[in-house]
Order: sequence, then C-alpha cells, then structure tokens
Amino acid sequence: MHLPSTNVLVQVVIVGFLTGGVYALMSAGLTLIFGVMKVINIAHGAFLVLSAYIAYWLFTLYGLEPFLSIVVSVPVFFLMGLLVQRFMLAKVRGEAGLTVLLTFSLALVIEGLIGWLWQSTGRSIRTWYTSEIIPIKIAEVSVRLPVVRLVGFVLAAIALLALYLLLNRTDPGRAIRATIQNRDAARLVGVSVDRIQALTFGLGLATVAGGGALFSVIWTFNAGSHEEWISKMLSIIVLGGMGSLPGAFLAALMMGVVESAAAVTMTSYISPIVFYLILFLTLIFRPQGLLGARIREG
Amino acid sequence: MFKRLTRWWPLPALIILLIYPWIWRAPYYHVLGFNMLLFATMASSWNIMGGYTGYKSLGHSAFFGLGAYLVALAAVHWGWNPLLSAPLLALVVALVAVGLGWVMLRTSGSAFVIATIAMLLIFRLLTLNLRSITKGAPGLSQPLPPWTPEFSRMPFFYYMLAWVILVVLTSAYIRRSRFGLGLLAIRDDEGKAKMVGVNTTLYKMLAFGISAYFVGVGGGVWSYFATHISPVFAFDIIVGVEMILMTMLGGLGTLWGPVVGAFILIPASDFILFNFGSTSIHLAIFGALMALVILFLPRGILPTIKDWIAERRAPSQAHAEALTMAEMQAASERDLALVDSSVPKVKSGTEQANR
Repeated sequence: MHLPSTNVLVQVVIVGFLTGGVYALMSAGLTLIFGVMKVINIAHGAFLVLSAYIAYWLFTLYGLEPFLSIVVSVPVFFLMGLLVQRFMLAKVRGEAGLTVLLTFSLALVIEGLIGWLWQSTGRSIRTWYTSEIIPIKIAEVSVRLPVVRLVGFVLAAIALLALYLLLNRTDPGRAIRATIQNRDAARLVGVSVDRIQALTFGLGLATVAGGGALFSVIWTFNAGSHEEWISKMLSIIVLGGMGSLPGAFLAALMMGVVESAAAVTMTSYISPIVFYLILFLTLIFRPQGLLGARIREG
Repeated sequence: MFKRLTRWWPLPALIILLIYPWIWRAPYYHVLGFNMLLFATMASSWNIMGGYTGYKSLGHSAFFGLGAYLVALAAVHWGWNPLLSAPLLALVVALVAVGLGWVMLRTSGSAFVIATIAMLLIFRLLTLNLRSITKGAPGLSQPLPPWTPEFSRMPFFYYMLAWVILVVLTSAYIRRSRFGLGLLAIRDDEGKAKMVGVNTTLYKMLAFGISAYFVGVGGGVWSYFATHISPVFAFDIIVGVEMILMTMLGGLGTLWGPVVGAFILIPASDFILFNFGSTSIHLAIFGALMALVILFLPRGILPTIKDWIAERRAPSQAHAEALTMAEMQAASERDLALVDSSVPKVKSGTEQANR
C-alpha cells in the first residue's frame, strides 16, 4: 500500500462522491421497501440488471438514449412491483426468513431468464459521451471529471428529488412515511396498509428501474452481476440503517468514496471485500446502522 | 400392525441403495447416485440449523467450499487421503462455524440471512485473492483416486451412503435429545426458551457448528470426486440454495424431509439440465420451483402426506367415537330409568346440543 498524491486523493473523493449519488438512487427503493414492508428484496439487484438490459437493448436496437429508457422500464417495473407484492409477498407475510428466500428465488428466475435470452456475455453501452472527460485545474490540483459519472449523479439527484417530493407533498407519500414510522398507528388513522405496501413495492422497483438506466451507461453487466450488486446495495442500506432514506443516501455517498479509495490502494479484485466486511460488521455490531432503527431481529 | 411395518421402511430403502450401483452400472448412474447422497447429507445437515433451530442460512456454501479447499490442500501438500482427512478437517470447518456463529447469531431473521450471504462472499473473495495458498481463480487440482477408472465412482457412492446414515442418525438423536428440544424451543419462541433456562447462545452455536460439519465433509469428498476445484464452484451460493430447497420440498424440520427432497431434486435437476442444456434456464426453473414450494407447499411433502393420511383415517376414528358416545348416552338413560322411572326423562346434553 502506498500513499497516493494529492491529485489522486481529490480525484478519488470526487469520483467516489459522484458514484455514490448513483448508488443512492439504486438503493433508495430497497430501503423504502424494507421500511414499509419489513421485507428484504434480494431481487433488487436482479431488477437493477434487468432494467440495464432494457436500456441496453433499446439503445442497441433503436438507438434510444439510455437515460430515456425509463419511459419504458419505470411503468413496467411499477406494475411488476404491484404484481409481485400481491401474488407472492402478501402470501407469506410474517416469516422474515421465508420472504427473503422468496425474493431470492425471484432473483434466480430473473437471472436465469436474462442468461437464457441474452447469454452471459458482459454488456456495456458506449454512447458519444462514454469516455469524455472534463479536465479541471484549481491551483495545484488537477482533476479529470468523467462526464458519464457527472451526468449519472445529476440525474440521480433529480430522481431522488422527485422521490422526496412524492413522499413529502402527496397523500400516498405521507401514508408511506406514516407506515414506516408506525404501521399500527397508520392503520388506526385510516391508512390502507395493504395498498400502501403494494404501492411501495411498485415505487421501489420504479426507482431501481431509474437506477438501472444510469447503471447501464457506467458499468459492464451480465446476467450474474446482480449477486455482486445486491451485496453492495445491502451493505449501503444496512450501514445507513434499514428503512431510513436519509441514512441510505449518507451511506451511499460514503461507500462511493470508500470504494473508490479502496480501488486505488488495493488490487481491484479484492476491493469489493470492503462492502462485504462493512455489511457483515454493521449487521453484527451496529444493527441500527448510522441513522436507523435496530434490525437484528427484523 | 400397519404402523409397526411402516417403521421399518428405511431397511428396504437401504438395501435398494446398497445394490443400486450393481443394477445401474453405467458411470452416469453412479455420479447421479453420489450426488443424491451428497446432497441428502448436506441438506440434512442444513436442516439441523434451518429446520430445527429456525435460522435459515443462505451461506452454507461457505462451509462446503472451506471443506473442499482444506481437503484439497491437505492432499496436495501433505498427501493426506481425502476420504480419511475429510471427517477430520471438517472439524476445523465446524470450529470456524462455531466461531463465526458466536458473532453472527447475535442477529436473527432477515438480518441473519444477509449476514450469511456476506460471510459466503467474504470467503469466496478471500479464496480468489489469497493466491499463494489457493492458486486463485484457476483453482486447485489434486491426485486422482488410486482405484481403477471402471469403479472410480463406486467407492464414493458407498462412502457417501455411510455419511447419509450417519447424518440421519445424528439428526434423529438430536431431535430426541434435550438439546434438540432446546433447538425447537428456540425456533418457536427464542425469548421464552431463554426464560425457561435454555442457554440459547450456546445451543445455536453448537447447532451451527454441527450443521456446518457435515456440509464440510460433503465439500471435502466432493473436492476429491471432482479432482479440480475453483472458488467459483466451491463457493457457489446455489449449492447452499439447493440444500434449502431440498429441505423445504421434503419437509422443513422433519427427519427424512431433506433426504426425500434430495432424492427428488437431484434427478429432476439432472433431467432439466439434460433437456434444456446447461444454459441458465436451469436457474430460472430452479427459482420458480423454489417460489412454488414456498408459496404452495410451505410445509413440504412429508408433513403434507402425513396430514393427508391422518385425514383419511380420521372419518373412521370419528365414527368410532360417535358410537361410544351413543352407547354411553344410552347407558346413562338406562341408569336414570333404573333409579326412578317416575322422574320425567331429562334430555341429555348432547341431544340438546344437536338441535
């Protein structure tokens, strides 16, 4: 391990921060779903990859700008979310271990279908801005900003702002937040918790559809990628405190920077271990994460 | 009579298994048989933690891979015979599990499930990266078994059969012991179990260790069987998922459920692989099957059949009970009549209730 120069350090922090913004959008749905339903959606990574594939095919076949693929994927995913909640999760409510296994089986189905339809070769999208870089020089420090990450960060921020407004300025949003805070009390004041749960699952998948569109232009992916990414997203929302959106944002930005630092100090093969260790250790020693309630028993 | 006979069913099953390799002599059937026994052992082992204790680990592949690598390394560096070293080195696996269990079992429910996934990923990443020991991604090869290729699979078959018997006996013994009762109590209500004096932490750690032991043995034997192992296959999450699916299919928390599940699922999965090729549609079918079992057969095959038989017997039992009730009523009426025939007859409780 060697100490990197100032240039590299600043670069690492900025790129990590930009990446963290995309992580925040990717994990927002996962933590929201847990907050309302107490369900850990292991299929979240698989939906992320599926959305990336939708963006990939729309771009490759019709030349559609990858970010615009959300026009297709967001409504489709929202609908899928309603169906999954209604016909799968609602049936086994109550047993935490079983719901996790159920969402895991869903992830397997999605992975299997993707691999079967489109092989397991790695895919990536090359747009005109993929390898564009904006060089910035302030005093002695020069930084090279990758355009893709910058655009990803800005779009993620816009999507998260929309989510914030939805949760804070609309009635269904208030009902969702009420259910997160206290399910029984929400039911007492007239919130239809069943409906809110379906809505949340749909909304959760809709956000990951957006995350997947950003994901598709930044990273290479294949059918099996979801395993790695669900682990990253889980470590983010566990670190942030399960069910806490602000916690997830904070943790996403932190993990973005930590990961990008790990990538320059360790070999890139072992750097994901940072995520797994943080996940493991947080679950065991600080189950409430940074800003959440305890979930050891969740 | 019937019940006494059904208690002895494992005996003919065992005889069939003993002669199986001599009836179906093609190597394919020996591989299939070995896989069935291997997974029956590992699923039964998983069941001790996931079924009896209620802690469902998705990371048991970690113990499979650890056993595989320990046995392979011992064979390569010290020339240890894998079939002898597997039971020994699996003790190391169990010890690791007890140690990890000590920290991991502070969590429960979904948090425990995620922690086990994280544990598996950490193991896999370490195996991939500690290249000086594990040779990294390409993996390790160990010497071929000394016996002639013609019989190459048969010793594995019988060896694994012995382990199935051992794990089922262990599982049966645990179920009947005080320890097993404690585990069931933890599954049903951990708080109450603790209150009535079950040392829950110790019990859970022990159960985790035992359930890792046989999986470790399975991994060790598998590494010899496969001769070449690599991190991606040794630490594949699907291996652990298969243990879970088999157990749930057969009957979670039952003695024979995992064995039955393995004996159904291994041939079925072979059939799927054979007919749909080794593409990932296999994964999709697997996932769909798992979802179907969780949704529509949550208790598994064995308990469902048991209920069905009990229900079929029930009508005759109810009939018998009804008869005795009528007789008793008649008798009591006779008695009443004997005591005083002038007293107006009082309708009995059941007659009134019948109205």
